[in-house]
Amino acid sequence: MAEMVNLTIDGHEVAVPRGTTILEAAKTIGSEVPHYCYHPGMSSPAMCRLCLVEVEGAPKPMPGCVTTVMEGQVVNTQSEQALSNRRGVLEFYLVNHPLDCPICDMSGECNLQDYVHDEGREHGRGREPKRIFGRDDFGGDVLFYGDRCVMCTRCVRFMSEVEQDHRLTVVERGNRSVIDTFYDEGLDGTNWHGNIVDICPVGALVSKDFLHKARAWDLTHTPSVCTSCSQGCNIDLHTRDNLVQRIKPRENLDVNAWWICDHGRHNYEWMNRGDRLEAPVMRSDSGSQAMGWGDALRALLEKSDGGGSVKAVASAMSSNEDLGALKALVDAMGGGEILYRSARAEDEVPLRGFPLLARRKDLSANSTAADLIGANRVGADDGTGGLDEVSNHDGIVLVLNDDLADQKEDFGNNASLFVYLGTHDSPGAAKADLVLPVTSHAEGEGTFTNHERRVQRFAKALDAPGMARPAWLVLGALVAEKGEGPAPRSAADAFAAMSSSVAAFAGITWDDLGTRGAVLNESVSVTGD
Amino acid sequence: MAISVKLMHRPEPESTSYLRAALSGMALTFKHMVNPTKVTQQYPEEMTDLSPRWRGTHVMEQHADGRPKCVACGLCPTVCPANCIRLVGGEDDQGNRYPIVYEIDEFRCIFCGMCQEVCPVEAIHVGRHFENAEYTRDRFVYDLDRLMEQDHPSTLLWDPSDPSSE
Repeated sequence: MAEMVNLTIDGHEVAVPRGTTILEAAKTIGSEVPHYCYHPGMSSPAMCRLCLVEVEGAPKPMPGCVTTVMEGQVVNTQSEQALSNRRGVLEFYLVNHPLDCPICDMSGECNLQDYVHDEGREHGRGREPKRIFGRDDFGGDVLFYGDRCVMCTRCVRFMSEVEQDHRLTVVERGNRSVIDTFYDEGLDGTNWHGNIVDICPVGALVSKDFLHKARAWDLTHTPSVCTSCSQGCNIDLHTRDNLVQRIKPRENLDVNAWWICDHGRHNYEWMNRGDRLEAPVMRSDSGSQAMGWGDALRALLEKSDGGGSVKAVASAMSSNEDLGALKALVDAMGGGEILYRSARAEDEVPLRGFPLLARRKDLSANSTAADLIGANRVGADDGTGGLDEVSNHDGIVLVLNDDLADQKEDFGNNASLFVYLGTHDSPGAAKADLVLPVTSHAEGEGTFTNHERRVQRFAKALDAPGMARPAWLVLGALVAEKGEGPAPRSAADAFAAMSSSVAAFAGITWDDLGTRGAVLNESVSVTGD
Repeated sequence: MAISVKLMHRPEPESTSYLRAALSGMALTFKHMVNPTKVTQQYPEEMTDLSPRWRGTHVMEQHADGRPKCVACGLCPTVCPANCIRLVGGEDDQGNRYPIVYEIDEFRCIFCGMCQEVCPVEAIHVGRHFENAEYTRDRFVYDLDRLMEQDHPSTLLWDPSDPSSE
């Protein structure tokens, strides 16, 4: 336990570990000191001069982001002097800031907008023309509006300290200083530069992908987990009109801190696909027949009786609950093999400044859980092949969320019953005897298990189309019909059912997961790789 | 409490005449015919005076080169209490933010004028026009071109001689 220091901030007595900055100590009593250059994930140059606070006994205001607390210190962050400091500093920022909020993408989540609204002067006094830089394309996904920049240099420090690829710098001095790239190199080829758009406190760095797409106040933020690799970065899905508009990182110091990679950031279009399966469809010699869920599940149970042995193809993109329910159903049908396919990248893409985080080789969100339920990974590293045995299987074939795009036309022709649970219209859905529409990752609740066996929850961000239902609900109902326990009513029920049947998940409850996730018991070995 | 019935004592029809009442009524009518201070408005032959703050259907202001003044900031759909404005922003070939889609459903609009009040670039206005007739309902959803074609004057929202509405 670190040595604690007692001090008074805004009249509240607080005790914080020695070495804590005043700014962080003030956060513990809920007093937010405005700041630009300070970011908890990077060094503090104390150059924005906005976090100046009044320390009693000190001859002049102290920058809260670098001044560490001292025993008996009395700090005022909201006193007359502190407020007048900030009002003055903010007025200096507005000398050159263009006030183009109506056309700025940051409007609504801009720190300058918020601070000036809260504490700034009501009217500007500037008469001189503002300096004009115009717009610069930094390469990659980033546009730079130099006029809006407040010179906090968070972006420069992110590239040099966190990504450790020195692509940005400050050129010129004083009034003319501006962020720039080296020659024409730009940000192309870097893998984490999307984060500089997140940490920019104003609208100087904006995403090309999100440019003019939606206003910040129209977006609904839903906590979720990235599906682009097995790292399991915590993200927020920003949605509007039932479409995902962008992905932003969500802070979790155990997994991804404040950062996510550019690949994951831009991999959301699949959640907005329109070619969805919307109703259960039974296919027979006389044609296709759409039906309700009750009829579809009854038909499935009827046909599966005496249908022979089961082979299942799972997807490593499915949640723990879906995989657990699939495993339970396969067991209830007499047991059988579960296979899954998962693409692997050649190399990891590490983030040098935060060693816990890398874009992992395993490009599926949930291969760990697939391994833990006893599924076997098959196929090549590009996620294709390996299903020849299932293709010719003469018993029951269950496919969950694998589109089977690489499979031949005769996949499942020999099967006594070929059931396909999927989200999108796909080659697999075109061949199956029974097609059951399930929800996608963004449309349901659930958990993923990441590469270090951390189980993390994600929430429902979009409304599912038509009659699509979560796979755990469908599979759980079938398991219950087979007489193996009650049908799950919520993702928490499905998780509880899984943790009671899969050894590795034993002892972890839905409530343990919280917002940070919980790591599974290490002693249980993983099958496969 | 028992229901009481009030008996009306009307004159018998055989013993009375309505002639006097009819004549006095007609006298009033003819008096108004020649009344110099008549108040009947001859609408639509004669247009009535509208208040300077009258709020009718919308007008989109445009630049000299025909581009809409709107910068797609999204404040009017945000402030609109009837939720009748649909806006999709984008960037034109000169790098300016502009509305790709800007639609106002004039049926749903309640003509509160808040879109005009909130507009930072004075692009959208409520106009001094109220005589709208169309053959189909969907013609009442005004798109951007239609809003820019409107040539009626826009409202003042405030009376210039009384800006603080006292």
